[in-house]
Amino acid sequence: MNLNKVSGLFGLIFFLEFGIHAQTEEENRDSIPLENLDEVVVTATRTIRQLSSLPLPVTLIPKKQIKRSGLTRLNEILNEQTGIVMTPDITIGGGEGVQIQGIASDYVLVLIDGVPVVGRSSGNLDLSRFAVGNIQQIEVVKGPSSALFGSEALGGVINIITEKPSSDKISGQVTHRSATFNNQNTTVNIDQQIGKLGYSIFLDRLSTDGYDLTNGDEAQTINPFFNYTFNGRLFLDVSDKLRFFSSGRYFLQDFDVPSGTSEERDANVQLRVDHEISRKSHFEYELYYTNYVTNEQTVDPIDNEILLDNDFDQQLFRPEIRLNTSFTANNTLTLGGGYNFESLDRSLFAEQVTFDSQYVFAQYDFKPFEWLNVIVGARFDNHSEYNSQLSPKISLRYAITPNLAFKGSVGSGFKAPDFRQLYLDFTNALGGGYSVFGKEVEVQGMQRLIANDEIITDSNGNLILPVPFEQLGDPLNAESSIGYNLGFVYKQGDFRGEVNAYRNDFTDLIDTSILATKRNGANVFGYVNRESVYTQGLEVDLQYRFLKNLNLSAGYQLLYAFDKNIEDELDENGGFVRDPQTLETVRIGRDEYFGLENRSRHTLNVKAFYEIPKWTANANLRIIYRSKFGLTDINGNGYLDDFDDSFVDGFALVNLSFGKTFLKHYEVQLGANNLFDFRGENPFSTADNQIQVNPGIQLFGRLNIQF
Amino acid sequence: MKTTLKLFNLLFVLLAFVACSDDDDDGPILIAVESNTASNIPAPQTGGFGQGEVGGPFTKFSFATGTVTDSDTEWDIAFRGLRIAVNGGAETGTNDEPTRNGNAGAAIVDGTFASVDSADGLTFAQDATGAFAVPAGSDNGWYNYNPMINVVTPLAGKILVFRTHDGKFAKVEILSYYRDAPTDITPEIANNDFRFYTFNYIYNPNEGETTLTAN
Repeated sequence: MNLNKVSGLFGLIFFLEFGIHAQTEEENRDSIPLENLDEVVVTATRTIRQLSSLPLPVTLIPKKQIKRSGLTRLNEILNEQTGIVMTPDITIGGGEGVQIQGIASDYVLVLIDGVPVVGRSSGNLDLSRFAVGNIQQIEVVKGPSSALFGSEALGGVINIITEKPSSDKISGQVTHRSATFNNQNTTVNIDQQIGKLGYSIFLDRLSTDGYDLTNGDEAQTINPFFNYTFNGRLFLDVSDKLRFFSSGRYFLQDFDVPSGTSEERDANVQLRVDHEISRKSHFEYELYYTNYVTNEQTVDPIDNEILLDNDFDQQLFRPEIRLNTSFTANNTLTLGGGYNFESLDRSLFAEQVTFDSQYVFAQYDFKPFEWLNVIVGARFDNHSEYNSQLSPKISLRYAITPNLAFKGSVGSGFKAPDFRQLYLDFTNALGGGYSVFGKEVEVQGMQRLIANDEIITDSNGNLILPVPFEQLGDPLNAESSIGYNLGFVYKQGDFRGEVNAYRNDFTDLIDTSILATKRNGANVFGYVNRESVYTQGLEVDLQYRFLKNLNLSAGYQLLYAFDKNIEDELDENGGFVRDPQTLETVRIGRDEYFGLENRSRHTLNVKAFYEIPKWTANANLRIIYRSKFGLTDINGNGYLDDFDDSFVDGFALVNLSFGKTFLKHYEVQLGANNLFDFRGENPFSTADNQIQVNPGIQLFGRLNIQF
Repeated sequence: MKTTLKLFNLLFVLLAFVACSDDDDDGPILIAVESNTASNIPAPQTGGFGQGEVGGPFTKFSFATGTVTDSDTEWDIAFRGLRIAVNGGAETGTNDEPTRNGNAGAAIVDGTFASVDSADGLTFAQDATGAFAVPAGSDNGWYNYNPMINVVTPLAGKILVFRTHDGKFAKVEILSYYRDAPTDITPEIANNDFRFYTFNYIYNPNEGETTLTAN
């Protein structure tokens, strides 16, 4: 196909996800200076769009920034972006979760090349699973995107776009990086484009001794582990009109726990066919399969008896079809539909459970006037286990002047009740004997407990049930949100500034509630739709290319995140806490309510990237700050208030690295993350058990050989 | 274990006497209402937490004397682990419970200790088969248990109002479940020094009087 003959968006759509090389041919859609042409994203609309022309907030992290920063995992690079925070779990050493616009990890969808990854632990997806050594760019769409992506896309979507081979010679690179804590990372990349056939192979091995944040106990916070990532991809362009893409990814991780085993496996297989049926229309057929497995076993160190055996095996198979039709250069209709087959086999479930869901979506992207771009879309999800969902979204961009534009969007998002909330059947024999039942099994579970005479009764022998028996098993609703984003973008020469005000209203959040009390005093918990929370605030992003080789950027996020029910209750009736000194109850009001856990009011990043072509060298400095945040309610009133002694003081991390290329093929990089050795103090520290917030400075060296 | 008595209201006593004589009223002479703190009332239990059935005698407490008592009849409330029994109603069915032979009852009122100033109009529950008058379980009755840090915290704003075995009234705010009511409950304390109740209480020793303020 002669690209020059293809005009406008149409040509771009054809190259969806391969289009990185095709941008120079595209000039009609937006009048963007040439140097910005590489900034295109696919996640926001599922078509190729210039980043700066989009009507909704999107963060693009290019490969160069990842390489220059010397970071190797997805969580590390995301944490340096405006309004994206990696938050620690309350349990020290538990996973980190990504937070976008104050929205927790449970509500953020993560994609690799447009298809979702699965395998969450208590809702949290561990992003350190994803190596960043073979990616072209990371795209983060902020705000609800369920209109295109369905469940889980409430807070945003993170899409990892992998690189495509570019040369007809075998090209590759070998990289080794050594860092503090005996962190050893080896990466091999090989790719080639031979005529119509291209391939790409990526291998990554990471091992570390782990580290300890607690000095008063024997256990280590992060146990030693190793992991391997393998990713092989094939690209076959049968003709200009027919292209095949396939990808296989396998990840294996093994933690060296003191007694027992802890293993994690993640496999993805993706097959996609792009077929241009006419100059205006283009089909994409996609098949995707993923399987996520963990095996965890704790054995008694003395007699090798198995104390805990926790296995988790989740599968998703998803065929999807998409059609893009461009009526003119400036309007595109996208239609799509698919089918999700999901299953989970887990030790804590009575049996393997399955979900089926079907969905269709439509999006119309048009320019009624030269200065106005509107995107409307909606998606309908039908699900076997809960109410179906309709998720609409509208976005618009109004070019006030060539340099200044207004952007606004309103969209809805939802998250289906997860397997745990539907099928968990768990009694904690070691920790007090409480039970938790998922919605689908709570009737049987309660019947079982009643039959065993485990539930308390009143003096007449009648069961005491806070939730009447008839109401058990009433279906859960999906958790849902509406997100609003309004902002301005300003571009002038080498300066680019963006301000965005956001608000996300969540309803029907699923929480646990007490179904009954057992004779042993422990409670029986079930899941209900109860909480309503909101997050709102402001994001500011400034970028300036100072001199030719110095890029400066600064980002700031202001965040207010509260539970509405608690706010209302405090406004109306006030609340109570115990004075930590006298231990007596005192009354508090709305002003003492700190807000949701793990949210910092202020987060800030400042970055400087400097290139010295004469020396084939580069240097960069990145400063990441987050203000005070609370870990958990500790005084037992159910929310975080000023009397809770569980706050982590605000802190800044300073990261820097230097790189230099020798003899064209060798690049050496030296750097430090957390340069000033910040360790911080966790509020749960005690005199003889100091707990740090951060393990301290991490030095690294990296050698990259290109061939 | 010790029970400290703090006399708050000598003045009130004097005023009461003065008032009576001045007005030539033929109402009863009221005995002083006292504000007290009971410290480190031990509440041992056997079993539980996977160690077999819960058992062991309850530690009985009398508001009239302000002390722990061995009496089989002259007690108002009793403690074993996280459970609080009242001397009224029936045995709930666990092992080693004391016989209920009085008319005690319990009500839980939302407020600060000071704001709950009367027992008037409250409904008092009594122990019954399968259920204590002060409900068992985290967040149901008087405490919250946080399994993450293994700490029992009395619920803020939950004031326990009791009718005593002989029909008088008292209010209680539990301050701590740990020995010497530490402000900072370290894992060490959480694992070793639990099952010691410290609580503020106000007892109105006057028959039929529902007032629960000590001024």
